Amino acid sequence: MLLRNAKIIFNKPVSAELYHMGLLCPDIAAKIQPGQFLMVRIQDRLDPLLRRPFAVHRLYPNDPPGSFEMLYKVVGRGTQLLANMQRGDFLNLLGPLGRGFRLPQDKGFVLMVAGGIGIAPLPYLAETLAASGNKGPFVLWFGGKTSTDLVCVQHFNDLGFAVQLVTEDGSEGKKGLVTGHLEQWLTQQDELPKVMYSCGPYLMQRSVAEMAARLGIPSQLSMEALMGCGVGACLSCSLRCHPPKGVQDPHYANVCQDGPVFDGEEIFWD
Amino acid sequence: MANDSPISLAVELGPLRLKNPVMVASGTFGYGQEYGDLVPLERLGGVVVKGISLEPRSGNPPPRIWETCGGMLNSIGLQNVGLRAFVEEKLPLLRPLQVPVIVNLFGNTVEDYGKLAAALDGHEGIDALEINISCPNVKAGGMAFGSDPKMVFQVVSAVRSETKLPVITKLTPNVTDITVPAKAAEDAGTDILSLINTVAGMAVDAKTRRPRLANVVGGLSGPAIKPIALRMVWQVIQASNLPVIGLGGIISVEDALEFLIVGARAVQVGTANFVNPQVTLEIISGLEDYLLRQGLKDINEIIGTLELTR
Repeated sequence: MLLRNAKIIFNKPVSAELYHMGLLCPDIAAKIQPGQFLMVRIQDRLDPLLRRPFAVHRLYPNDPPGSFEMLYKVVGRGTQLLANMQRGDFLNLLGPLGRGFRLPQDKGFVLMVAGGIGIAPLPYLAETLAASGNKGPFVLWFGGKTSTDLVCVQHFNDLGFAVQLVTEDGSEGKKGLVTGHLEQWLTQQDELPKVMYSCGPYLMQRSVAEMAARLGIPSQLSMEALMGCGVGACLSCSLRCHPPKGVQDPHYANVCQDGPVFDGEEIFWD
Repeated sequence: MANDSPISLAVELGPLRLKNPVMVASGTFGYGQEYGDLVPLERLGGVVVKGISLEPRSGNPPPRIWETCGGMLNSIGLQNVGLRAFVEEKLPLLRPLQVPVIVNLFGNTVEDYGKLAAALDGHEGIDALEINISCPNVKAGGMAFGSDPKMVFQVVSAVRSETKLPVITKLTPNVTDITVPAKAAEDAGTDILSLINTVAGMAVDAKTRRPRLANVVGGLSGPAIKPIALRMVWQVIQASNLPVIGLGGIISVEDALEFLIVGARAVQVGTANFVNPQVTLEIISGLEDYLLRQGLKDINEIIGTLELTR
């Protein structure tokens, strides 16, 4: 766990609500794994007070060395202040934090599922997967409310992914919910994925976990929660999980420390 | 700062001696390991661990946290590993460190408090107990122990009679007159008072008309509550002869100085740890710088020096 000031190398809108920000911080870039996150202190002020958690979206080993990118959605005061920051400004980062994605033991078919801003941690995972010697096939199912939610699709294509798009309003790809189309598609495949990686809204994550369980596919889900400290001290970011042996029920795991990536079967779905 | 520093930050709180007056508050620093090597615990005046109960507790369902203006509203529900896991798994990691360890404890009944104090009394590596009286008494319809001076007296007496360790009573601000529970704790034999715990609060999502916290209400901490805390510390200092630990919204050396000037002999830093994990180290070095600038050598020269004449 490091505490570092990172220099902003770019901060640009990708759509009306989504921004991507490049940060230069070689110490953290050298350590962070796909699915881990950073607690970002937006500015040196008392309001907003708490740090905000963000995943690493892409890692740039050489451009410049030690830099990476975050993708974020402007949803409140904190992210609005973030959107107003300029190239050359500094952000204070705490990280890398949490338990990230684990690569599959066996090479072969990998499926990723993203809903909206849930795409954020997946490109770095995809880059790591592609560099691991796994030849795939790789498939991304990506759902959003509307076409402008569906960002960085080209990057997945470049990494050898077949990308299936779904929008709730039908403005791009199939119309409906990503999980609605996915199960039908999966049952038509000759071979099932070795693993399903997923990040998105709670109900989508639940559908993915239940689908993976029905089909006997291991799933790894990156979960979200309102967070205080990011290190397991404040016990705010709880997620109800099935209790390990000898632990009382209900059992609340910390998303920051026990996750943010959980195996689908760990989670108790309310 | 090297050991030959001419500046002394050491303070005494009754039977408790601290190398400096800056501690971390219960519930904001886990069991001491969570911040890893960012904060060498030996540098701190003391570590107050997450509150312990006789049995493990699951805590409340989420959402448990909501950020408000300059503050943090939380309702964790006293989640903790319980007495046995604390003693077997957490305490051994703290014991070798050269830092006073203060164990915060709470119960559902007066008897629980006594049992906990007795169970913790014999363990090496515990330097003091801090009694959380802000939690509900299940035998009194869920009324907080700390809101009734009779219950404060009973709880503190129960702990006092079961331990030789220094006893700190942590007062809740959710009362009309803070000096009343302070006197009750003093009468029951507490050595030290710490205040304030979180201020009862609430937030609502206007869009969904639902409370932001699953528990509906929670406790407010952070810079927003500092003036309330400072006022209550000042009132207790005037009403009691006991040493006082001030806490509530401290995030800078200036904040810590305010509490010391008012008369607190030490401070605890809570929510600010989440904002800046190294804030305690910055406050400690800031206190040294302040003394140097003031031409002083000892932190005790500023404690209780509030200047009331204009």
